[in-house]
Amino acid sequence: MERNEGESSPGGDYRVNFFRPRPGYLRKRVGYTWILLISWAFFTFGFQILLMLVETGPAGEGPLTNLSVFDFPLPYWYTGQFLIVWFIFLCLLFNLLVDHLTKIYRKRR
Amino acid sequence: MMSDDIKWIAIVLLVLVLALLMWVGLSSRRSHGEYYLGTGHTIGRIGIGAAIASNWMSAASFLGIAGVFYLKGYFAMAYVIGWTGGYVLLLILMGSQIRRFGKYTAPEFVEARYDSSTARFLSAVITILISLVYCVAQYKGIGLVFSWVFGLDYTRSLILGAAAVVSYLVLAGTLGATRNQQIHYAILIICFLLPLMAIADRLGYSWILPQATYGTALRDLAQQEPAFIAPWSHGTPFEWIALCFTLMVGTAGLPHVLSRFYTVPNARDARWSVLWGIFFIGLLYWSAPAYATFAKLWETRNGLQVDAQSAHAMADLIVIKAGEWAGIPRWLVGLVAVGAIMAAFSTVTGLLISGAGAFSYDIYYRLFNPRASERQRLLVAKGAVLVLAVLVVLFALKPPGLIAEITAIAFALAGNTLFPVFLLGIWWDRTNKYGAIAGMLTGLVITFAPLLLGSTFPLLFSYFPPTSSAFLGAPLVITVMILTSLATPPPPERIRRFLAEEVHSP
Repeated sequence: MERNEGESSPGGDYRVNFFRPRPGYLRKRVGYTWILLISWAFFTFGFQILLMLVETGPAGEGPLTNLSVFDFPLPYWYTGQFLIVWFIFLCLLFNLLVDHLTKIYRKRR
Repeated sequence: MMSDDIKWIAIVLLVLVLALLMWVGLSSRRSHGEYYLGTGHTIGRIGIGAAIASNWMSAASFLGIAGVFYLKGYFAMAYVIGWTGGYVLLLILMGSQIRRFGKYTAPEFVEARYDSSTARFLSAVITILISLVYCVAQYKGIGLVFSWVFGLDYTRSLILGAAAVVSYLVLAGTLGATRNQQIHYAILIICFLLPLMAIADRLGYSWILPQATYGTALRDLAQQEPAFIAPWSHGTPFEWIALCFTLMVGTAGLPHVLSRFYTVPNARDARWSVLWGIFFIGLLYWSAPAYATFAKLWETRNGLQVDAQSAHAMADLIVIKAGEWAGIPRWLVGLVAVGAIMAAFSTVTGLLISGAGAFSYDIYYRLFNPRASERQRLLVAKGAVLVLAVLVVLFALKPPGLIAEITAIAFALAGNTLFPVFLLGIWWDRTNKYGAIAGMLTGLVITFAPLLLGSTFPLLFSYFPPTSSAFLGAPLVITVMILTSLATPPPPERIRRFLAEEVHSP
């Protein structure tokens, strides 16, 4: 990968900080990363916390465990089946977003 | 515990599969494309995805998850999710950047990023430790399956299995056989899915896609044993989340997983192949709980009372037991055993080689004998493989837990040490060698303190459970790294510039 000094190269500014990314490509990419990170954490851990919040029995029995989806008890379907599909979807989304971003910023040079 | 007749069908199948792999490896040794099929973008990426999956799938996936599910129900989902969701984390935070860095092993990355031989040494030691712990779990799997196949006791089977691994490694090495990851993946997944379909059919459920329809069996089981099915029957929400998080960050810090990204042609293919990788891994992870569900259901249907101790002893073989109990054809049960052995074999050989490489190159050559010739280094590496193999057998004689649990300790170690070092190394240019060294030392203490001192300080055990210590550990290590880096001089300009201009550019 040949890369020359161009418009989008950082020049004097070579700060790399996840919380304060420099404007342009990196800031947009970090923005996407945040969206993905939040949906990853929310869907994975959020559901377990929800399960805990609505439980009525000591071992987590509650309205959610009584529901059934595709004949599975909901927690088993959600965690054991759906979450993996969700992960694959997140990867797809991230790849499409980054591909798009890379295209825009490579053209500018 | 085991029936003591020899399973000839399994032995024949195993020999056939090993011969097939060796033949493929020999006939393709001229082509250099070990991971890349090279025919068009999509097929190439699917191929790399299969390679990622076959590199990933070990005895822990093949035997371990079903074993934990059999004992702990919903708690095992923390393993399923932790070992798939980790790839999302790896992809969005590090995948393409690691490829851009262009270093082939974890210690090489650490030296390039932190410019310190001490940090390199530490990361090499950690790589070896991770390999060791990971291998102990695999050896337990090999020992158990061999004892089922040959009808020997566990200790003898373990030694036989270890000898088989080393001879396989030597034979493949001398003949120069390359590993075809795609065929390897295909064999593994067939060995796992085909018997499951037969089991589902035998027990009166749909054999088409049992991994998506075993819910019916789970409901039937719930009627018999409602307590087993409840989410927190076998672990608190804290334990579940801590374990899941640990496995995820561990995935993103495991040397042999990270290594896959260096061998991919470019950063874009690295990203896209992860998508296929998760899909291929998912095929197995969707299915593993189904094995345990069917086994458990068979038990309750036939009124088999298993006490806790024998259940624990049998859990790691439950995928094989499920087949035997359901009464599927013997060659199908043999197929499961062959798949498990193949998964463990390839993982062990990969880990032994990477551990020995870290010793011979990063420790022996770089620190003790910089003038060592290539031959000497190779000799040291070969010796290290043998020493590691023997050490692993010693630890595996009395395995400290279930396969999945032992593997989880390796993930905790990776999550507490290499994950923070890679994460901050990539995303914060100010991180310096002092931070990395302090972080890795803290991570080592956090991982091993509960194991060594847990009985004296029970509080340590409840906040940093050995299998789940990275939940609180990784954030702690990251904090230590940030504070240490801020208190010491910044890293060289050259490295910061490289990070900004090469690693993080469009």
